[in-house]
Amino acid sequence: MRLLRFLSWRHLRRHRLRTFLTFLGIVLGVAVIVAIAIVNRTLINSFQQTIELVAGKAVLQVSNGESGVREALYPVIRDTQGVRDAAPAVEGFLPVVGFKGERLFIYGVDFLADFSIREHQFAGAPFGLESALDFIARPDSIALTESLSRRLRISIGSEITLVTSRGALSYTVRALLKEQGTAKVFGGSFALMDLPVAQIAFGKEGKLDIVDLTIEEGEKIEAVRNRIRQRLQGAAEVQRPQERGEQIESLLTSFRLGLFFVSLVALFVGFFLIYNTVSVSVVQRKREIGTLRCLGMMRRNIMALILEESLIIALSASLAGVVAGVFLAQVALLSVGKSVSSLFLQIDLAKGALSLGDFWLALAGGLGISILAALYPAWEATQVTPLENYRQTAWSPRSQGVFRATMAGLLLLLFSPALLFFPAPGLGEVGKFTLGVVALLIFLLGLSFLAPLFVLVWVGFLRRCLSRWSLLSWDEWRLASDGLGRSPMRAGITIATLIISLAAIFTIAAFVHSVRGSLLSWVDQMVTADLIVSSSARTAGPMNVPLREDLAPGIKALPGVQVLDLYRLIRSTYQGRPILIESFSAQASASVRRLPMAEGKGETALRQMAAGEGVIVSESFKSKFGKRLGDTVELPTPSGLARFKIIGVYIDYSSDSGSVLIDRSLYKKIWHDELVDAFDLWLAPGADQQEIIQTIKENYGEKYQLFVSTHRELRDAVVNIMEQSFVVNYAVEIVAVIVAIFSVINTLLASVLDRTREIGVLRAIGATQGQLRRMVMAEAGWIGFLGGVLGLIAGTVMSYHHVVYNTKVLTGWTFQYYYPFGFAFLCLILSVALCLLAGYIPAKQAASIPIVSAIGYE
Amino acid sequence: MIRLIDVHKVYKQGRNEITALDGLSLDIQKGEFVAVMGPSGSGKSTLLHLIGGLDRPTEGEVLVDNRIISQMADDEVTLFRRVKIGFVFQFFNLLPTLTAEENVLLPLILDGRPGSDHEPRVKTLLERVGLAGRRDHLPEELSGGEMQRLAIARALAFNPPILLADEPTGNLDSRSGESILGLMRQINREERCTVVMATHNREAAGYGDRIVQLKDGKIEEESPR
Repeated sequence: MRLLRFLSWRHLRRHRLRTFLTFLGIVLGVAVIVAIAIVNRTLINSFQQTIELVAGKAVLQVSNGESGVREALYPVIRDTQGVRDAAPAVEGFLPVVGFKGERLFIYGVDFLADFSIREHQFAGAPFGLESALDFIARPDSIALTESLSRRLRISIGSEITLVTSRGALSYTVRALLKEQGTAKVFGGSFALMDLPVAQIAFGKEGKLDIVDLTIEEGEKIEAVRNRIRQRLQGAAEVQRPQERGEQIESLLTSFRLGLFFVSLVALFVGFFLIYNTVSVSVVQRKREIGTLRCLGMMRRNIMALILEESLIIALSASLAGVVAGVFLAQVALLSVGKSVSSLFLQIDLAKGALSLGDFWLALAGGLGISILAALYPAWEATQVTPLENYRQTAWSPRSQGVFRATMAGLLLLLFSPALLFFPAPGLGEVGKFTLGVVALLIFLLGLSFLAPLFVLVWVGFLRRCLSRWSLLSWDEWRLASDGLGRSPMRAGITIATLIISLAAIFTIAAFVHSVRGSLLSWVDQMVTADLIVSSSARTAGPMNVPLREDLAPGIKALPGVQVLDLYRLIRSTYQGRPILIESFSAQASASVRRLPMAEGKGETALRQMAAGEGVIVSESFKSKFGKRLGDTVELPTPSGLARFKIIGVYIDYSSDSGSVLIDRSLYKKIWHDELVDAFDLWLAPGADQQEIIQTIKENYGEKYQLFVSTHRELRDAVVNIMEQSFVVNYAVEIVAVIVAIFSVINTLLASVLDRTREIGVLRAIGATQGQLRRMVMAEAGWIGFLGGVLGLIAGTVMSYHHVVYNTKVLTGWTFQYYYPFGFAFLCLILSVALCLLAGYIPAKQAASIPIVSAIGYE
Repeated sequence: MIRLIDVHKVYKQGRNEITALDGLSLDIQKGEFVAVMGPSGSGKSTLLHLIGGLDRPTEGEVLVDNRIISQMADDEVTLFRRVKIGFVFQFFNLLPTLTAEENVLLPLILDGRPGSDHEPRVKTLLERVGLAGRRDHLPEELSGGEMQRLAIARALAFNPPILLADEPTGNLDSRSGESILGLMRQINREERCTVVMATHNREAAGYGDRIVQLKDGKIEEESPR
């Protein structure tokens, strides 16, 4: 401890700027990890909590995704042996007219049966049988929570208008619910309706979303479940509430793994910042360490000293990182909540709080990474001989360590693809994805270890070129490159940090670019309609309210509308895992619709689909369930299990859980569902698009809260949703840029201090302050250039691997790799520019070194 | 050629003040070889630094080639030093990544001229110091004596009228030391180059035309050889 106080503390204080930069780097890294851990946990907890609250006392639930359960099956379920209580319900979100962004979670229940499963506490007078009968008797009754009634200023007896599948409908508030039990979900944006009223509102007449069950005492849950299954014959699934939660959770697997990937990158970048700082510190203190060795300090004490120094910074920075992470998580949750609600399902996000597990994870992560990163430089410090302080020239490890680093780099580069080509058997999607990410990081580490070799090669190349083109002025640039060549390890460390930062930035950017490019190309092929009419949201998905089919004739009759097709999208399950079922009329739109195909011919597949010969599945479906063309899939439908032949594989980016495309006529027949998520309109040549939009809005707009989107607007909406889901990734980009700048300042400052004597000599033999400034800046420029070029090479390999391999493994999607040329060029320019900027402080310091003290040796 | 008028140089070290030169006046004629002797801390190096424009006096004036260098701006004195003064250091201070030829070329390049223009000059200088055969060698491949010869060649790159040498033999064996001193003497004679050499070594001082003995920042004794 005394040594720490004497040496380390003073050293850290003396190099306040560097200590602070390192501290900040760790804070940022830990903050990202903590924030992502909180976001991931909050997402899962929120789902589970919602499901538990809604499930009430239910031990089993009968459901069938959005396909629903035929109401006729309710008595069959209820009367199964062992079932004590059965409560049917329909559920969903409906927007409130006049309150922008307000959506109510409507729970339509059988008031007489539901109290056996859920306890609804009403405010005011007791809600007895008489009140319940009165509520049911009037078909516009709705019960809101007290908090919602306060927020919207709607009291008992007032009306509230909701956007339903039949357009805007008004309901009268007849009771207020206390925020207890089920009513606590979605922050109190909850309303109860009588079952038939809710069925009409959602267009689910004759259907149920869920039947909650309790069982007789002494009955085994599994036994009752099996009995119900047998009676339903595949017309619905019977699950425990927890399993239903897990099924929904699995929807988010790739989203959460994406976040995990981002936090891993942040951790890796943080690792290199610490490695860089400690290495530079060791190089700079060679003489001090030599003196300590002279004075009798043991090698192990030196090692402990260096590691303890890193720990001091890491401990305080990790603690600060935890605090910063909690704040970052609150910001991230807003964005993640929006993404999840637009892409997957509406979520009642709980407030993200730090768990003890997160705290220890962050602390262990921050400290562990710091120790790991400091280990090698600390070992290097133990190799300093006691003679070091007798050296009169700057320490010049020309080839020291370069060979070792090169060998390590080559080994890692060889090992990285081996991980992919010879994966451990029995790995699932998540395992393969994780292995893919690890292989990427090993590749990156390998390339980084080669950085010192690249420095020597580059300096050698430059020497040859500059001596050949002797007409070129080589003064500052040449001296700068010599400066690099003299300490290839130190320059290599900075270049490695740049490589890692830049590769991380470029990989994320190229991934986003490829996803955007692929998505837009897909939207262009998939959605050829001129206008898309939908309710409550521009894109079909969780925010969208499905409409009834009876709007179609009116829209079709509008002058200028040539073709009208109806599109439906529902969430269902296959083999117990969530999938999407999409439908449209291949016949109605045969002349205008195209389908981006991964396997099979689009035209043929659509023709077969129109003839009801089978279904077309998405490539994610194919890879998730290992299906092939010609195979049969057995889907749970309200009519029971239905078998379909796979007649084609199409490209579909709307969900990575897999989609099945079926012709609307067949869908309607089997699913008993006539709802429409979007009306696709193809206009006649010369038709006035704006006039048609105006007419639709005038005729239906207000009643149905319609969105009439042009092709362009739909494209923009898709890009917006995508951009939103990448917000957290950009946080890592910022961390990577900051870390890169820190590293360059760090290294150059050390380089200048290390070469004080040389700088003094240069001044003594006539180098002006300007020349020295330019020399150090040029050194920074070379570092930026080398780091930029190598970072781009690494980023290109990594992004290609991530887009083509990792994403395919995890989601089954085949994305086209789009190389962001403009961004690559910008990266290179930015790398050099940032390094020049970072080199300014060291350059200024170099120029202001007093000559006499620099060359003094008396 | 060199004139110091009542020069004081005081260094601050924490709260203490250390007087390196205490009202020193000295005239050195063109073509003279002056050896400055004295114990450690007597002000030898400080004297050389002031003449070379590496440092400024606290009081007094330093004139070199009839110009008051103690009042010049930093860039002005740098350019003046580049062409008028050559430096030779005890520890050679060669750039380890440059070859012998490139080390000599360095001051010329700092002057912004293309390297190829100076090839004959560099060749002559290397021949002059006996390193013609070692032009492509790095400093670490040379002996101590050779490194100091190379440092002298670098100091002579601009054919400066003044050569300042701070303990040039302090890090050499006696034979190499003699050879270096002989070389400096030769340059002094043949090129009428004014040489000011700080040394501890009485034998080395014997190579000078005049010996200036310093003590506590003052001239204690001045004597012709």
